[in-house]
Amino acid sequence: MTQTDTAVRLDAITKRFPGVVANDDVDLAVERGSVHALLGENGAGKTTLMNVLYGLYQPDGGRVVVDGQPREFDSPRDAIDAGVGMIHQHFMLVDTMTVAENIALGNEPRKWGGLAVDSEATRREVVELSDRYGFGVDPDQTVADASVGVQQRVEILKALYRGADVLILDEPTAVLTPQEVEDLFDVLEELTDQGKTVIFITHKLGEAMHAADDVTVLRDGKNVATVDAADTTREELAELMVGREVVLEVESRATDVGDVVLDVDSLSVLDDREVPAVTDVSFAVREGEVFGIAGVDGNGQAELVEAITGLRDPETGDVAFDGRSVTDDSRRERIEDGMAYIPEDRQERGLVMDFDLVENAILGSQHSPSFSSRGTIDWQQSREHADAVVDEYDVRPGNPDARAVSLSGGNQQKFIVGREFERDPRLVVATHPTRGVDIGSQEFIHDRLLELRDEGRGVLLVSSKLDEVQGLSDRLAVMHDGDLMAVVDPDDITEEELGLLMAGEYPEGYEPRDERDAMEVPQ
Amino acid sequence: MSSADYVPSASDVRALPERAYDRLFAGRSRVQQSVIAITLAAVLSLVAFGVFAPESTAGRLFAVLTASSTLAATLRLSVPIAFAALGGIFAEKSGVINIGLEGLLIIAAFTGIYATDVTGSVWYGLAGGVVASTLLAALFAVVCIEFRADQIIAGLAVWLIALGLAPFLSSVIYGSKNTDSVATFPTLTDMGIPFVSEFVTWELGFVLDLPVVGVLDLQSSLVGLPFFGALFDAGPPVYLMFAAVALSWYTLNRTAFGRWVKASGENPKALDTAGVNVHRVRYVAVLLSGVLAGVGGAALALGIGQFTGNGPTMVNGKGFIAIVAYLFGNYNPVGALASTMLFAGLDATQLTLQARDVFNVPTELVRTIPYITVIVVLALFGRTRLPSAAGDHYESGEDE
Repeated sequence: MTQTDTAVRLDAITKRFPGVVANDDVDLAVERGSVHALLGENGAGKTTLMNVLYGLYQPDGGRVVVDGQPREFDSPRDAIDAGVGMIHQHFMLVDTMTVAENIALGNEPRKWGGLAVDSEATRREVVELSDRYGFGVDPDQTVADASVGVQQRVEILKALYRGADVLILDEPTAVLTPQEVEDLFDVLEELTDQGKTVIFITHKLGEAMHAADDVTVLRDGKNVATVDAADTTREELAELMVGREVVLEVESRATDVGDVVLDVDSLSVLDDREVPAVTDVSFAVREGEVFGIAGVDGNGQAELVEAITGLRDPETGDVAFDGRSVTDDSRRERIEDGMAYIPEDRQERGLVMDFDLVENAILGSQHSPSFSSRGTIDWQQSREHADAVVDEYDVRPGNPDARAVSLSGGNQQKFIVGREFERDPRLVVATHPTRGVDIGSQEFIHDRLLELRDEGRGVLLVSSKLDEVQGLSDRLAVMHDGDLMAVVDPDDITEEELGLLMAGEYPEGYEPRDERDAMEVPQ
Repeated sequence: MSSADYVPSASDVRALPERAYDRLFAGRSRVQQSVIAITLAAVLSLVAFGVFAPESTAGRLFAVLTASSTLAATLRLSVPIAFAALGGIFAEKSGVINIGLEGLLIIAAFTGIYATDVTGSVWYGLAGGVVASTLLAALFAVVCIEFRADQIIAGLAVWLIALGLAPFLSSVIYGSKNTDSVATFPTLTDMGIPFVSEFVTWELGFVLDLPVVGVLDLQSSLVGLPFFGALFDAGPPVYLMFAAVALSWYTLNRTAFGRWVKASGENPKALDTAGVNVHRVRYVAVLLSGVLAGVGGAALALGIGQFTGNGPTMVNGKGFIAIVAYLFGNYNPVGALASTMLFAGLDATQLTLQARDVFNVPTELVRTIPYITVIVVLALFGRTRLPSAAGDHYESGEDE
């Protein structure tokens, strides 16, 4: 391979943060005109490495070579000037501005001697770029009104507008529907066809294999291997990522299904802006089954779950738990009745980040007689409880005096799962239980959920990860725009059909759901 | 149908009241509708009383409201509030909440007088006020942006520093919390209308061949207009205020810098990754708030020719009213000016009402009219959306 065939080369990059080596002597070579996947678990150092390439971080050692020239980037501006653009996981867009304004931000064409922005020129250039790569964006749309898929294209256009030849995408599929993911991969192909180079960061094996030409696997800040996507297998990649063998597919179905434990009847819920988020939703969860709800984030799942767990008052409708209406019960009463909850945002709702694990372990049970008497908390009991959770659920580091904030995301999540399961619940409401969690912890959490189900508890699982809901659920509902589109058998439906339902369209052979049917539980 | 062919038909004319009705009432809540209806009724009956029964209480109120002197006072009272509000818009849009506007007005008011006293020129005085206010704003900027102090606490500190410093300096220099009297800004008439007459002569004299004396008459006849006459006989700060509002609007909405200010307050990370230095944008925005508040503060003091430093000083909360004004104007300079003038107009009215004793009620009550009205209007019609990142620190390269 000659110099010019390599668009980007990283030589022995080392980047340290206080107490951590995020990148340890990492080499990477990316061929021009190719799609290169950077695969690894959370905390493997993928994003750090790319932030170094993009000039957001300065490396403690090593060299960045772009187009055969060694470079030192003090800021993203330098990287942009060298033709490197980055699309972050959280979009860097100004919601209140239009698509064209966002794309030109910082590089606005001027007129009248710099005294005014030339809005016409901006629009023209944006339309031209958008047409060249077939993006089809409306330059005058306000970003806040644009779909997530469109916002991502705006981000890509932003980089192209600045003359990027190398595009770095950080977890680009995390927020997209399956259809949008396919569209994105088409866009990447179009880009590489026109000579651009794409590096994308992911922790999803399937995507790396499907969309990339080469895959580099990072583990614990080190480059473990670079393989040709065509010559590898999911199993091989998973093993490289985790460092041991991983069971990828969970396909075990409920065997012993009991009585209805959660019965949701015609529930309607408003969101924070007083707009209906959930409209007339009915379903039931039985003991010994996992009832899954799939859907793109923001289609009312959060509000639905909050209404069930008692964090938000429903507008109309009823929630019955164990055959008794709990609609007017407080969150505390529901906890005491045996309704456990793994919240969507572990740092916001699951843990008090500044508390240590002993304190966090009794959150929600602080009133329970096992941990307190006459308003005073029994810290000895609490510590033993925290110890038990840490041991049982393999939370690392295994020190109950550590503050929650010092744990990695995966360990925080394992701790919450442990705390909730140790309540001995009759129903577990789990929302995105493995979001942002590495494969190892993911496998662990999935196993625990299924164990719980096999013990005859009910599980309501809400997730936007298709493989997760499809693999774990015994019955699967698809939520779109505040309503359940259908309740399907996860073994009989394809990912494409699920994707259509998630986008609000009925694939062939599926009918709009009759709400009355939902009341009759199939046996 | 092109617009040239458009001839209003009889039905269009008949639809006019309907459209006016829609504009006023459509899409509003019941409470808002009734307040609008009551206000409309009150205005109409005021006019009716003013025309048909000028000696009644309502008739005298109408006379007060439509007096040219009321508009003149409104404009004068608007100047410090409007300038401070413009400054607040720049700072807060960029993500730095500057509640120290009051302090900037105070320090500029004192320095404006002192610099006029020393140099003998109100214009140097104005410049001095701007410099002092900008320096204090710079201190605030460094503390907030570089050292990441809490913006609210730092803003309060700015106010307290100025509140203590200005009367103290006055005591040291003038031996009293109130300074000596100095020159004030002249009005256009006082100035012998140099630029108005020359400008109008040059423009009109050429076309209409008017003698200069005729033009002078034109200006004085404009001043003689009922009510609006005040617009043609104000001091330079009033015209500066209108110019500053227009310029601020243009800067925020039409220049690249305006876009960066917006982005810096909404999503600083987006601006940073686009290669624009967020700190620099915020520094410029906060310094601009110092410059603008400086003009307002100096103009306030130089309108009277003295700085009075007792209690809350002569600024007396105008900086805080300015915050209300720009929030109510939803960060739009024109909206901020409108709400400033609403408040200043009510204040001017209550001053005249006190003087003429139109209502037979204690002056303390009359004095509360502007504040109560502003609260009611804000509660009913305020629709402010704060910039998402207002009040947040930003450091490049830090993960949130």
